[in-house]
Amino acid sequence: MKWLVLAVAAVLPAVLTRGQLTVYILLGLAAMAVVGLSLLMGYAGQVSLGQASFTAIGAYTAGLLAVHDVPPLLGLVAAPVAAASAAVVVGVPILRLRGHQLAFATLALQLILLSVLGDADWAGGAIGLQGLPYLSAGGVELTGDRDYAYLVLAGVVVTTVIASLLVRSRVGRGLRALATAEVAAEASGVPVGAYRLLVFAVSAAFAGLAGGIYAFYVGYLAPGSFPVLLSIEYVVMAVVGGLGSIAGALLGATLITVVVQVLSTLATRPGMPSYAPSVLSYAVYALLLIAVVLFLPNGIVPALRRKLRRGPERTADRVAA
Amino acid sequence: MAELVQYLITGIAAGCAYALLGSGLVVIYRVTRVVNFAQGSFAVLAALTVTTLLAAGLPHGLAEALAVLLAAGIGLLIGLVATGKPGTTPQAALIVTLGLGVLAYAVEILLWGDQPRSFPGLGGSTTVLGARLQTHYLLIVAVTAVVLAGTTLLFARTDLGKALTATAADPYAARVIGISVLRMGLLAFALGGALGGLAGVLITPVQQVSFDSDVVLVVNGFSAAILGDLTRPGLTLVGGLLLGIVQALVAGYGSTAYQTEVALIFMLAVLIARAGRRELVEAA
Repeated sequence: MKWLVLAVAAVLPAVLTRGQLTVYILLGLAAMAVVGLSLLMGYAGQVSLGQASFTAIGAYTAGLLAVHDVPPLLGLVAAPVAAASAAVVVGVPILRLRGHQLAFATLALQLILLSVLGDADWAGGAIGLQGLPYLSAGGVELTGDRDYAYLVLAGVVVTTVIASLLVRSRVGRGLRALATAEVAAEASGVPVGAYRLLVFAVSAAFAGLAGGIYAFYVGYLAPGSFPVLLSIEYVVMAVVGGLGSIAGALLGATLITVVVQVLSTLATRPGMPSYAPSVLSYAVYALLLIAVVLFLPNGIVPALRRKLRRGPERTADRVAA
Repeated sequence: MAELVQYLITGIAAGCAYALLGSGLVVIYRVTRVVNFAQGSFAVLAALTVTTLLAAGLPHGLAEALAVLLAAGIGLLIGLVATGKPGTTPQAALIVTLGLGVLAYAVEILLWGDQPRSFPGLGGSTTVLGARLQTHYLLIVAVTAVVLAGTTLLFARTDLGKALTATAADPYAARVIGISVLRMGLLAFALGGALGGLAGVLITPVQQVSFDSDVVLVVNGFSAAILGDLTRPGLTLVGGLLLGIVQALVAGYGSTAYQTEVALIFMLAVLIARAGRRELVEAA
């Protein structure tokens, strides 16, 4: 199954049209951020409404380095590093919060970041950064959509592999323990605080990598590219697919991106009002989120797995959020 | 001096709106343990409804009252979706209210478009201690005082209020003595909707509202309410006023750009300070 999905994903860029390639790339970028968020929400058991701030940090890091003539490849590497470092700095105080408190704290941090970026002359203010170069390394320049599609695919593979290694490692077992019974985990020697900070940093790094690729792909950045709504979209994707499940994160990102794309294509036909695409996408996000939380509390992938296997639940069996 | 008075009163008026919105969050949270992310949508929906009703020729007062009533009805609906299904945890309900907030975007854009809207409030201006002010600011303060006092009386003096308080204190015991916990929760959502709607109706004449204003509104309301740990109405009022005044002073003497950051940093500071204290209690 895994290999089949990978094979299809690898063949797709060769056959897709230009418009479809854009969707493919945006889907892959979302998938990276959502895999991270799903880890965080599934294992740390917390809602983060600020995942897009790490995408923004990654994108701006890459973008700022690129406009100051740093080799793009270095900027791409710096993007996840900067996002993870930011996560560690803010994570130390805010990861002591739980539930709705963490949700609001992460939302607040994103609003602060957006406002700071909007006022910062060094980041181009509200207009943002324009004219970023294409990604290049050793004389090879990635200029076509197809190049970026493969770059994004590589990014998704890397984040997925890191995430599954993390989940299966000693750290992952500790995380699963702390997700189910925090006090018990702590009592049996799991360094709860450190592990939680680690997942937060890793999930931020994934979002940061997506941001870095995004910066080179679109060539311009503005605070408006990373609205609070983007963070909410990531949450919808993670919850719908199934928290704490990597396959769930990928499925959630794919399902929602494709559904929203199909609906906006329908809604931009002649005769439809100009606001139709946004109305439809808001409605889709909202209704899917509500329906899944109420009727499939673990998300689609864990529900499917249970149906297919009927065996004991293997992944962390988490109530939504 | 006149400048300071002006900033103070506009700050208090904005603070009143935050306190109303925050009180809505508190009522809902106390009774149901659900943090209602859609609280800002009540304000936006009510404000936009007023613009339509006024355009349809309804007189002021009636239009506002109907909009608040509508917000209460929507509150009831949100409560029904978020808490109506047995076994929904408060955490899951929080995500549901988040979804309902996004759904409200779709409805609002469909009905009112995506441009900011406003409507005229109480006309004229008054001079207070040498400062000229729109009379509407005084109206906001007066209405808030009356409504919050009324809400306090409702909780302290009526059977219904006592039933709500009982549900908040111990849902199991409340059920044992024959109080319908679900119905009390829905009532709390309706009341929260009305309070949020009122905040929106009062603030819109001095501060335009668009479909996505709900994020800033709910963040300000939450910041106000978090001072009282989401459970204490008195501290929510204090929090709201504090927030409004500080924002007005920052905007007046500094720059309007930093107005939102003030609320956000205030909230983060209170949250983190509280988390530090709570850890000791939890560990014990």
